[in-house]
Amino acid sequence: MSLYRVAGKGRVTTAKPVSFSFDGRTYKGLEGDTVASALLANGVHLMGRSFKYHRPRGPVAAGSEEPNALIGTRRGPGRFEPNTRATVQEIWDGLQVTSQNKYPSLKFDIGAVNDAAYMLFSAGFYYKTFMWPKSFWHKVYEPFIRAAAGLGVSPTEEDPDTYASRNMHCDLLIVGAGPTGLAAARAAAMDGLKVVVVDENPEAGGSLLSEPQVQINGQSAWDWLSGELDALQELGVKVMTRTTAIGYYHQNMIGLCEKVTDHLAVLPEDTPRERMWRVRAKQVVLAQGALEKPLVFNGNDRPGVMLAGSAQTYLNRYGVLVGKQPVILTSHDSAWHAAFDLHDAGAKVQAIVDTRDSVNEALQKEARDRGIPVKLSHTATGTSGRLRVKSLRVNPVSGATVGAGYNIACDAVLMSGGWTPSLHLFSHTKGSLAWDDDRTTFLPKETPEDCVIAGASRGLWGVAAALMDGAEKGRAVVAALGKKANVQDYSVEVDRAGSGVSHKELPTDQNPGKAKAFIDFQNDVTAKDVRLAVREGMRSIEHVKRYTTTGMATDQGKMSNINGLNIAADALGKKQPEVGLTTFRPPYTPTTFGAFAGYHRGDHFEVVRKTQIDSWAEENGAVFEPVGQWRRAWYFPKSGEDMDAAVRRECAATRASVGIFDASTLGKIEVVGPDAVEFMNRMYTNPWTKLAPGRCRYGLLLGDDGYIRDDGVIGRLSQDRFHVTTTTGGAARVLNMMEDYLQTEWPELNVWLTSTSEQWSTIALNGPNAAKLLQPLVDGVELTEEAFPHMSCIECTVAGLPARLFRVSFTGEIGFEVNVPAPYGRQLWEALWDAGQQYDITAYGTETMHVLRAEKGYIIVGQDTDGTVTPYDAGMGWAVGKKKPDFVGMRGLARPDLVAEGRKHLVGLLTEDHSKLEEGAQIVFDKNQPIPMTMVGHVTSSYDVGTTGRPIALALVEGGHDKVGDTVYIPMPDRTIAAKITDTVFYDPENNRLKIGSGV
Amino acid sequence: MSVSISTLSAGVIIETKSARVSVAAPKGRLSLRTRGDLGVFGSALGVEMPSKIGACVRSGELEVLCLGPDEWTLMLPQDQVASIFDALNAIYEAQPHSLTEVSAREVTFEIEGTHATDLLSIGCPRDIESIPVGEARRTVFDGVTVILWRDASTQFRMDVWNSFAPYLAQTLETGCKEIAAELA
Amino acid sequence: MLLIHCPYCDETLPEAEFTYAGQAHVIRHPEPSSQTDQEWEEFLFIRENVKGDHFERWRHFHGCGRYFNAVRNTVSDKFLTTYKAGAPRPQLSDLKEGGE
Repeated sequence: MSLYRVAGKGRVTTAKPVSFSFDGRTYKGLEGDTVASALLANGVHLMGRSFKYHRPRGPVAAGSEEPNALIGTRRGPGRFEPNTRATVQEIWDGLQVTSQNKYPSLKFDIGAVNDAAYMLFSAGFYYKTFMWPKSFWHKVYEPFIRAAAGLGVSPTEEDPDTYASRNMHCDLLIVGAGPTGLAAARAAAMDGLKVVVVDENPEAGGSLLSEPQVQINGQSAWDWLSGELDALQELGVKVMTRTTAIGYYHQNMIGLCEKVTDHLAVLPEDTPRERMWRVRAKQVVLAQGALEKPLVFNGNDRPGVMLAGSAQTYLNRYGVLVGKQPVILTSHDSAWHAAFDLHDAGAKVQAIVDTRDSVNEALQKEARDRGIPVKLSHTATGTSGRLRVKSLRVNPVSGATVGAGYNIACDAVLMSGGWTPSLHLFSHTKGSLAWDDDRTTFLPKETPEDCVIAGASRGLWGVAAALMDGAEKGRAVVAALGKKANVQDYSVEVDRAGSGVSHKELPTDQNPGKAKAFIDFQNDVTAKDVRLAVREGMRSIEHVKRYTTTGMATDQGKMSNINGLNIAADALGKKQPEVGLTTFRPPYTPTTFGAFAGYHRGDHFEVVRKTQIDSWAEENGAVFEPVGQWRRAWYFPKSGEDMDAAVRRECAATRASVGIFDASTLGKIEVVGPDAVEFMNRMYTNPWTKLAPGRCRYGLLLGDDGYIRDDGVIGRLSQDRFHVTTTTGGAARVLNMMEDYLQTEWPELNVWLTSTSEQWSTIALNGPNAAKLLQPLVDGVELTEEAFPHMSCIECTVAGLPARLFRVSFTGEIGFEVNVPAPYGRQLWEALWDAGQQYDITAYGTETMHVLRAEKGYIIVGQDTDGTVTPYDAGMGWAVGKKKPDFVGMRGLARPDLVAEGRKHLVGLLTEDHSKLEEGAQIVFDKNQPIPMTMVGHVTSSYDVGTTGRPIALALVEGGHDKVGDTVYIPMPDRTIAAKITDTVFYDPENNRLKIGSGV
Repeated sequence: MSVSISTLSAGVIIETKSARVSVAAPKGRLSLRTRGDLGVFGSALGVEMPSKIGACVRSGELEVLCLGPDEWTLMLPQDQVASIFDALNAIYEAQPHSLTEVSAREVTFEIEGTHATDLLSIGCPRDIESIPVGEARRTVFDGVTVILWRDASTQFRMDVWNSFAPYLAQTLETGCKEIAAELA
Repeated sequence: MLLIHCPYCDETLPEAEFTYAGQAHVIRHPEPSSQTDQEWEEFLFIRENVKGDHFERWRHFHGCGRYFNAVRNTVSDKFLTTYKAGAPRPQLSDLKEGGE
């Protein structure tokens, strides 16, 4: 038995010892212990150092609100988590725990000099201390701040765990499985209602776990709890433990983070570490209970000073005495019971020190009966002890006079400043709060959500009140769900509902300017910091918060907010509600990135779309690039080739003989109906009426602002059926835009759009031998200039597969695009590949495609255009139908800015020194002008691996179409490059190579 | 004729005690878009055309699913596709419409087993239980548009475009194992 | 995440099935060439920035695919109603009396 373990107490399993390590030393705990309870059982209070002053700290609480005892937990390689609360982490055999914010050791820490230099670190110290001299910023201040900033140490290895997510829909979600939540669940537990209760603790029960003395319906609390949980399970209620409701979002969407494996010694297979639940509940009951407030006095942060209710929890739930000679310091009745419980478990309670001048006589009698000294009308003004509290200095108070102080020797100080309803989730709902003067706290008022708040979280103390209110609110939500609730009666005895008063910092006989009376333990904010902030002009609590950082730590001010507010209000001479309460935001407790990412990490990070030919490319060594959601073959390097070498080879081989390219990612839309041609006329700039079935045309799509949105080749398969292609990245956007116009502007048109992007695998063959290669495989058409000229399309058979064959070229060579039903894609590719061997067929990727098209001056929408380029700017006025009454963008093209002089035009650039330009580089007319120079455009595409013998570039240049032949300059960091403006077509401007039979 | 999909072929992807996920054999699949008198289409197809979004009607080997106010998907054996084109071509003049073959566009996952609904809940934000047995919905699963048929209480089909199928197969496999581990 | 009622499917579904599509009742004139530069500018670029009840469009992208209209309060994020494309713009006063 450990030194501080009490036999027969707690819910831990004495028969199951667990061994774990803390800072390298092995400790024994029991199954059911947290790291904090197990260390306390071994007499260890010192668990960490504070953030700013590196003061020694021990746990002040027993739950997720704990600000001090933050630890790092490790489970083998990669499995390290910093800033875990020791009060929440369950122990298991082999768990490795380390303390934080200490160097070289927890007991002797160099950073603690900050504590002595505390004058430097007062409120707003970031703004004051680090201001001057300016030259110190980079070399002194920033390294210092960076070294000091943050809690714990980030893990450096990849997290090997998996995370999951799931959606849930239920009738009623109850947050909190304490007496309130369980009573609400019981009222709603019935056939036909899906009721879910969640609790962050490893077991349901809430405060009942710490109050075994309570009698409910004639049973002890724990017996009643066990029976009640069985009954709820029987009735179909789902109780989820280790599950924190982290946020309350619109329309009753609640985020739950379920910790699945952090408590297990052996990780089960296929099991995620955490699971994020997205719950949509018709009704919600919030029963999160209340959190105990510390008292604010000098030295209230010393290890061994903790909340009285938490000490009670350590005793009753874990069987651990946090001290053998504790002293109680309180302004609330509840701490008296903690004193009694500890006394009854064998502790020698040194005194009950109460700030109040009168306390319930029954409590005083109970103290007397146990021989516990009682000191009313007292304040506390200091503690002693280096790494653990040794004494508490108390003083009698009479009116405004603080009398002489004296020390009470002790090994723990158990304090209580009363209780704060937990309003976090309620606050997430945009619920309004009302200040309650009696309880000196905010209480919930109204929420726009279908949600009620019950029990201690609305200021009702005691188990009886919790059960009654839970049952009542449960009945109310069941009625809202249109059902008749179960009616349950509760009789409660040995309940300990009490009352108390709330304080600002406790009065002292010493210099308050030197007191270290902490409000926010984690961020090391003291009462004097808050008063200083007010003196320096902060008026709203929002300002005080940001200036002092109170409430800004990872505990979000769960224990500190009301104390901070009371003190700020006192300093301002205002009522608390006039000073305000800061907004609570999700998540309720720190949540891992993994839980938010869920399944979406590693190779499942985001959707990756693959074509049917992707597998061939992978087997043949392709390097891939992402294009939208697709991964596309970028180039196919042969052994020893870098990207430039591979692309140069692919380009040359395609121009010399034949290249094969997977164009399956092109968007495809089938436009069908009697009004198909009318729709095409309205959507695209080009005229379509006279396009004969079996022919194709390059189509240009604008927005109604007149700017280019997309382009693609469109084939007319029959009078009423068009096969539209779009850019890869534009496929979804174009269909969206077309549907928008069709559904909302022209609903009278009898035409319908169907995405066929994935119906077809599309393979492009380009090169002088493309027709020769393909002809033997094609059934149904002669691939001659006469029978199947450039810009033709036909439904035929290719390699025995039903196909849509297009004669189009994006390279300037004879070109075909063969579409076959998608699953045949690889089969066709391999047939073409085999047939192409006699022509030394070369597979090429998107980079070669880009180079070859640039040599022909074909634009890539989104690369050579940027959403502000008109067809005329791009030199594509020929694609605009001049006689059409309207098309999308026609009116836009007449806008004043679009017809003004001096627009940027797409031109070619050839550098004088044959160097390659950088894409995105800015262009100027006069290289000698003073900086900042007037920029007149930029390079949009640039390549030096093509077949034109020198680097080429496309660029948008102000008035460029009228400046062909002029020289422009591209200033780079190391030199300025001169380039001549040219036409955009660098290769075969007469298009001779498009003709079959023209010879090579 | 048999179609082999290079990235996913018909067969079981994963089977655990929670559910079984498999890729179904290919079928004929047509997208029909029209408005006006559905009766004419019903006569031509030999079914009563459903008009409620999500409703399915079956007649012999033909299944017609209403996906939108002017949109239907027809599922049928591949070798009957041509005859449907013929039948509807005959009424095109009287009842303009769009009939487009999309047989090759999609892969059908079959998801069944005691925990099929839980498995779907890892990727579907909508309440699966709100889909009546015998109906279907177009919805979203793990960020991807899918059509989800509920053929029986714990038996589903999920149609997804080819290129997304390997990604969703991975999601389903992960979920299937995860839920099985919960049952262990 | 919001819940949105699709007036075509007649189901209330998670926002994840929908895409936002800008302000509602912005009509493209059937004869754009008759529009002055200022009228066309207003059609293209000028939008309301309402603090309160906003008429806007959504598309049931992962569902029936239809664009429809909605009235949503930009402060509370609550939908007052949704209605089919082409249906007349509802009176706000009617929505509030009959609505939430």
